[in-house]
Amino acid sequence: MADPPGATAAAPPGVTPEHRSCPGTFARAWAKAVSGTSYLPMTQAQLEALLQRLTERLAAALVSEPFDLRAGHRVGAELVAAHVASAEGLGRTVEVIQLRLVRDLGLVTDDVEDRMARLLAAVATGYARALRDRTLDEQESIRRAALTARAQAERALRASEARFRHQATHDPLTDLPNRTLFTERLGAAINSPGRGAERLGVCFLDLDRFKVVNDSHGHQVGDALLVTVADRLRRALQGHLVARLGGDEFVVLVERTGGTDDVLAVAEAALAAVREPAVVDGHELAVSASIGIVERQVAGTSPGDLMRAADSTLHWAKAAGGARWAVYDADRDRRELARYALSAAIPAALDRGEFYLDYQPLTSLRDGRVVGAEALVRWRHPELGILRPDSFIGLAEETGLIVPLGGWVLAEACREAESWATADGAPPFVSVNLAVRQVHRPGLVQQVRGLLRHTGLPPERLQLEITESTMMNTAEEPVRALRVLADLGVRIAIDDFGTGYCNLAYLRDLPVTELKVAGQFVAGLRAPETRADERILASLVSLAHALDLTVTAEGVETAGQAERLRAIGCDAGQGWHFGRPEPAERILDRLR
Amino acid sequence: MQRPEWAPDEIDIERPSVARMYDYYLGGSHNFAVDRAAAQAMVAAVPEAPLMAQANRAFLRRAVQFLTDTGVRQFLDIGSGIPTVGNVHEIAQRNAPDARVVYVDVDPVAVAHSREILDGNDRATVVQEDLRHPERILAHPDVRRLLDFDQPIAVMIVAVLHFVPDDDRPAELLRTLREALAPGSWLVLSQASADGRSGGERAEAERVYRRTDNPLWIRSRAELTALFDGFELVEPGVVWVPQWRPESADSAEDAERAAFIGGVGRLGG
Repeated sequence: MADPPGATAAAPPGVTPEHRSCPGTFARAWAKAVSGTSYLPMTQAQLEALLQRLTERLAAALVSEPFDLRAGHRVGAELVAAHVASAEGLGRTVEVIQLRLVRDLGLVTDDVEDRMARLLAAVATGYARALRDRTLDEQESIRRAALTARAQAERALRASEARFRHQATHDPLTDLPNRTLFTERLGAAINSPGRGAERLGVCFLDLDRFKVVNDSHGHQVGDALLVTVADRLRRALQGHLVARLGGDEFVVLVERTGGTDDVLAVAEAALAAVREPAVVDGHELAVSASIGIVERQVAGTSPGDLMRAADSTLHWAKAAGGARWAVYDADRDRRELARYALSAAIPAALDRGEFYLDYQPLTSLRDGRVVGAEALVRWRHPELGILRPDSFIGLAEETGLIVPLGGWVLAEACREAESWATADGAPPFVSVNLAVRQVHRPGLVQQVRGLLRHTGLPPERLQLEITESTMMNTAEEPVRALRVLADLGVRIAIDDFGTGYCNLAYLRDLPVTELKVAGQFVAGLRAPETRADERILASLVSLAHALDLTVTAEGVETAGQAERLRAIGCDAGQGWHFGRPEPAERILDRLR
Repeated sequence: MQRPEWAPDEIDIERPSVARMYDYYLGGSHNFAVDRAAAQAMVAAVPEAPLMAQANRAFLRRAVQFLTDTGVRQFLDIGSGIPTVGNVHEIAQRNAPDARVVYVDVDPVAVAHSREILDGNDRATVVQEDLRHPERILAHPDVRRLLDFDQPIAVMIVAVLHFVPDDDRPAELLRTLREALAPGSWLVLSQASADGRSGGERAEAERVYRRTDNPLWIRSRAELTALFDGFELVEPGVVWVPQWRPESADSAEDAERAAFIGGVGRLGG
């Protein structure tokens, strides 16, 4: 069966296939031939309708006068546009047209074979051209997509690297530069200073009593305060690098300074910025800060040096009460470093036996007899020579090393004193200073009891000297411990009496045996016209005697002082007049 | 230092991309030599591979046609690949010009290409995201801008699940999507299956796809049916894709040669 040719061949392009005539035998055969050669985004019916339209165009072209090859080109291109676009699709199209078009449509012309060959050539040409163009377009578009994707990925990577770098170099809370960035910038300023950048300064800033804010208002308020402070510093110190090192510690890098004054101006501005009361979460917080300032030549310094110096200086400002700046002082720093080094050496010195004891006699003012001897520790330092306690005891107390050191002194004093013997058979007691930490430490009773048992020293030949400040904190435990020791027979003396804590209530609670009156009252006895010290001393003596306590005066340097003290009724004296600190053997030799 | 999670991946076009291999099967030229080499290796192993892709694409076309006929106007096509011939927005918007389509793909090149194609179409867009992060897809501003989750949405996951191994918990991914959908929404799934195929062919195909970023994870009809949990499958259920509502009886012949199974389900309520 043949379809009528040419009936609708003149219909304008662009009219949808649905409005065309029904697909004929040939169009259906063509559709069957090409389906499956590539993906066709249409139903079989839509494909058949499309091919019916093209069939009609081909049929019309085959018989038209003049013969126009462009119709063939257009059919080829339309096939590709409709996605009948594969090598197989073309092959089968050529085959089905050649075999069936003329027959199925009953076409008649004189030179049909010739025309068919040329028409097929035109279809193939149009098809190949269109497919080539489409392939090139698609290649271009996928390549462009790949380039776009790569450019986007690179942009995203750069952005993420910038973000990553920012995160790595900034403090998340305040968004100020962090320690890493500060160290980098300081390192650069020191290691490769530009022209005119021969000096620089650093301000180490720390909020005063920030912990109180955190403790009383909570960390959220504390954090909000830090953000406020950070913002103020950033605004007030524009042009300088402000970084947060952590906690409430900030640091400012002041580059290209001409001298300390440049950094002082920055520090003043920082203090002023912080000083404004801050309203945080409804709380008005009074804030102040301390600043340590270092300003120096770039040459010869290192970031580490500079930071450490600024940190030490900050502590000076803090120690001086805060809300102020302090400027680095190399001599002071050296002294403190030396002190620090000395304290750090105490444990090793104990191990190596570098400490030893001298004793200073406590002499009866009634009969001149040596009733006791105060143990005084000495350090035979391998480099610094013999060190007196005032050069290392304070440090040992600060660092807590006083506990092992004091323990050693107590043990050594008990050990040595046990062997003391005198002609009259009443050897002097040994008096040992106990630091606050030692008294407040649990186990003191056990320690002393153990020492007495171990050395065989009778308890009444041991006197423990504590300071008034030990009793400032009248916790029950130390009082109980001292009472137990007193019950054992150990003597308890209050050292430096009258110079410290002036609440005498502890005398009621404590089993004290003796008061040691500070040397400064005794010093007053030199001047006969000033009687105040003598009266104080007399009152102290009568007070002590009223409480059944003995009184030893410290710092007795002259016979006159000794005489007056005796006249007042003072029981014993200690000082150069009676003997300087020396090895126990020397004192004992004189007694024998 | 460890790379943060938000740092972008790099683009590696030296590796075959499953999206561009699929384009090659469909007769497209949106692919590179490396994709063609992998696709040709696949064709050598499984000669029907192009036919499979075509059958799957035809299934997609019929499914979208079916859904637009049902009245669906919103499509979320996850794993859309290279949106060349016969893509969802073309089919949907030809039937229903007001239909809105969001494409999602993880392949940055496919996404860049989609963006170029969709330029100027304000009812279709593309989002670069991974099916394995449905919560991110659902929260994406472009998805929220174009799709109204109070109205039915057709979620299309076509020829993608075979790249999601069971370790990635496909059932949970689908549940997350389902829970975001309004009643009357739809789920369209299809994937490669090896039911009735020789083990050798399957092994060869798996070997080819190990060269890509997306190794194959073949599922049986029962396994794919289970993934429609919560949806009511419409007739004829999960079948070889040519058998799914064919346009003519003969186009469903030799359906198992397509090696793709698929179905369409509706969220009740």
